[in-house]
Amino acid sequence: MANNLQEVDVVVVGLGAAGGVAVLPLTRAGLNVVGLEAGTWMNPGRDYKADEIHNNVRSLVTTGNKVAGEIPTVRRSPTETAVQQASHPMMNAVGGTSIHYHAQSWRLNPWDFKVRSATLERYGAEYIPEGTTLEDWPVSYDDMEPFYDHIEYEVGVSGRAGNIQGQINSEGNIFEGPRQRDYPMPPLRSCDFLDHMQTAGQEIGFHPYHGPAAINSQPYDGRPGCQYHGYCDRGGCHVRAKNSTDVSTIPKAVATGNLEVRDNANVRRIEVDNTGKVTGVTYIRDGEEYFQPARAVLLGCYTYENIRTLLLSTSAYYPNGLGNNRGQVGRHYFGHWDIQGGTLVTALFPFDINIWYGAIAQGVMVDDWADDNFDHSGLGFIGGASLHVYTEKHPIGAAAMGTFGKVERRWGSDWKGFIKENAGRTQTAYMQTNTFPYEHTWADLDPNVRDPYGDPVLRVTHGPKLNEPMAAGHAANKMEEWFRAAGASDIVNTGGGVGPGLSTHAHGGTRMGNNPETSVCDPWGFSFEAKNLGIIGGSVMPTAGARNPTQTLQALAWRTAQHLVDSWDDITA
Amino acid sequence: MDDESENKIITADTTPESMHSVSRRKVLGSAVTASSVVLIPLANTSCTTPMPAPQRILSREAWLILEAFADRIIPADNNGPGAVAAGVPYYIDNSLADWNNNELDLLSEGLFALTRAARSRYDLEFQLLSDNNKDALLRDMEDGKIAGFDNSAQIFNRLHRLTLEGMFSDPYYGGNQNYAGWDLIGYPGAVMSSSAEMQKMGGRLPPLHTSAYGSDYDGE
Repeated sequence: MANNLQEVDVVVVGLGAAGGVAVLPLTRAGLNVVGLEAGTWMNPGRDYKADEIHNNVRSLVTTGNKVAGEIPTVRRSPTETAVQQASHPMMNAVGGTSIHYHAQSWRLNPWDFKVRSATLERYGAEYIPEGTTLEDWPVSYDDMEPFYDHIEYEVGVSGRAGNIQGQINSEGNIFEGPRQRDYPMPPLRSCDFLDHMQTAGQEIGFHPYHGPAAINSQPYDGRPGCQYHGYCDRGGCHVRAKNSTDVSTIPKAVATGNLEVRDNANVRRIEVDNTGKVTGVTYIRDGEEYFQPARAVLLGCYTYENIRTLLLSTSAYYPNGLGNNRGQVGRHYFGHWDIQGGTLVTALFPFDINIWYGAIAQGVMVDDWADDNFDHSGLGFIGGASLHVYTEKHPIGAAAMGTFGKVERRWGSDWKGFIKENAGRTQTAYMQTNTFPYEHTWADLDPNVRDPYGDPVLRVTHGPKLNEPMAAGHAANKMEEWFRAAGASDIVNTGGGVGPGLSTHAHGGTRMGNNPETSVCDPWGFSFEAKNLGIIGGSVMPTAGARNPTQTLQALAWRTAQHLVDSWDDITA
Repeated sequence: MDDESENKIITADTTPESMHSVSRRKVLGSAVTASSVVLIPLANTSCTTPMPAPQRILSREAWLILEAFADRIIPADNNGPGAVAAGVPYYIDNSLADWNNNELDLLSEGLFALTRAARSRYDLEFQLLSDNNKDALLRDMEDGKIAGFDNSAQIFNRLHRLTLEGMFSDPYYGGNQNYAGWDLIGYPGAVMSSSAEMQKMGGRLPPLHTSAYGSDYDGE
C-alpha cells in the first residue's frame, strides 16, 4: 500500500524545461510546492564532457534511467504494428531536457497563434491543408508577450530584438512581433563562417540575423558566459552558461524556501475523487510507493509522458484516462517537421569553414521563407521553414559526412583523401517547418509493449501530411540558394522529407483551445474536465512554429502557474 | 614496455574503471605497435604461433580479421597513418567489452562469415588476402552480394561505423592514437574554451593534440 504523505498546495510532476519554470511563480507567491522528478541533480564537473563518444555515441548525458524503459512505439498507418524506437533523448534529471538541448530560444511569430483564421482571411478555405485539425491558439502573441519577457529575463536569453514596440531593427528578426524591451544580453559571439553567411544572405535579399539563445553571452545571474567549446549538443554545460532550469529558475524557487525537490520519484498515476477533482499523485521512490496529496497538480513531463500519464490514470470518473472523457487526449499530437523529418540541405565549400568549436545556438537565422512572411498565393501551401546555419562540428560526425558523389565508396584511400580535404568544409542547415496537427496522426497506449512496471508505453501513429513537405521543400530551395551565394561548390538537397514519428520537438496530445470537444486544456492550460489539473509542456501547443518550441512552452508554463496563483480559490474549491 | 601493465591487458580485466586506468592506456600505444609489427610476418608465413593476445574480449581469430578489415577501411597511405596504427581495433574491442557488449556475438560471427567467404573464394583467411582481393570482397560485403552471408551489409555498416568511431574519437577510448584521426581531418583537439581566433576561416587550425581527459590520454 502507498505511504500517505502530508498534503501540499501544489505538486509539479517533472522538473524539466516546463516544470522547472512553473515552480518559480508558484513559490514566489508563497505556495507550498513539491516537485517530483524522475531523475536527479546533475553534476557538471562529473557528468559533462567535451567528448562525442560520451554525449553523442553513448548518450550518457541524455539517456536517463526511467526513459529508457518507456520510449514510444511508432507506426506509419493504423494497419501496421508499431515498433519501439531504439532511443529518444527525453531526459530524466532536475532540469530535464533543458540540460542538453541546443538552447535556441525563440518567441513564435504572431501568425503562429492564428494560422487558421489568418489563412482563411488571406488565402481562403482551400488553403487550409486537407486533413488537418488546425485551430487557432486560444491565446494571441500579445497575450504571451509578458510571459516571453519573464522567460528571457528569469531564465536568461541572449539575442538582439528585431521589433521593440514597433521599432524595427534589422540586426534582429524583422518579422518578429513587437516586444516591450530588448533581450537582457547581446547575441552569442559571431565568427568568420557566420559573418560570411550573413553577408551572402544579405546580398541575395534575405534578412539573416543572430538567433536568440538561452545561453549567457556574458556573465548573467551569477554565472559565466559561453565558452564555445563545441560540445553543447546532447551535453550539459560545464560552466553553467546554458540556462537549463536546474541552474536558472529552480535554484531561485528553492531559495524562496517553498519548493521541495523530490528526485528519483517515478510518478505512476494522478489520483482523483468521485467528483473528478485531482487529489494528488502516486509515485515510486527507491521501490516504495507513496501518495502525495495536493490541492492542485501541474503535469509537466515531456509530451509523450504527459499524454501517457493521463491515459494511465483511469478511474470510475475517467474510465478512458484522466481528462479524456471526450476522447481528445493523444489527439492532435505531431512531431516537428525538421531535420529529423529528413529536410536536409547540405553544402560543401571549397575552403575550410572552421566550425569545430562554438555551439549549435551560435548561428544565423533567416525567417524570410517561414510562417506567413511571404506571399503564398498560387503556391498551394501555407507556412514554410526557417533556415539556420551554425557552428559546432564533432570529429566522428564530420568524418561520416556524405561524399557528394565524389568518391565511389565511403572507405579506402580515395575516401580518406576526400575526408582529409573536406571534413571541415561542410554544413547541413537546420531547417524547421511550421507543422500542424492532422486527423491521421495521434498517440495512444501501445497494446503490446510495456515499461518495466508493466504499464503500456505510448504508441505514435504518424500518417502522411501534404502541406509540410511542400512548405519545407520550398524553403530547402531557398537554403540551397543561400549556400550557393556563400560559395558552396556542391549541395545535396533532399527536399521536403517525410516527417518524423518521434520528435525532440513533440507537440500536442493535450492541446489547449477554446472548445472542450476538440481540446484537452482550456485557454489557461487547465483540464476542461479536472479543473485543478494544469498541464504544461509541448503537449499543450496546438501548432509548431518554424522554430524550437522551448521558450514558448516555458512562457505558457509560467502563464499557467500564474493563473493558478491568481485563481487559487476558484481552482482548488 | 612496462611488464606489469602488459599483464593487465592480457588478463583482460573488463570493468569500465580498469579500462580507463592510466596504466592500461599508457600501454595501449605500444601494444598497437607490437601488434602491427607482428601481423606482417603472420600474414607472410601463415604462422600459427600465438602471440600474447592484446585484446580484452574478442577472440584472437576475430581480432585478426577485424584488424585487416579496419586496415582496408582506413588504410595507411601518403595521407597519413591508417586505422591499425591509430589503434582502431582497440577502440572496437574496448567498446564490445563495455557499452557495445550486446553486439559482441553478432559482430564476431560477422567477422567469421567474412573470413569464410574469403576461404571459399580465395582459399585463404581474409587477413591473408592481397589488398585488391580484400577490397573486392569488402565491396561485395557492403553491397550484400556474398552468398550465404545474408546480413553482410548490416555487419559491414556496423563495423564501418565503429571503425570511424575508433579513428576519430577521443584517444581516451583506445583509438585515434597520436591524434592520427584528428590530424587527418583537421580537428585541433578537445578544449574547454575556444577563442574567436579558433573559429577563423582561411586555412587549417594548428593541431592542439588535446584530449578531454587530460594529458594522460595524449596518446603518446
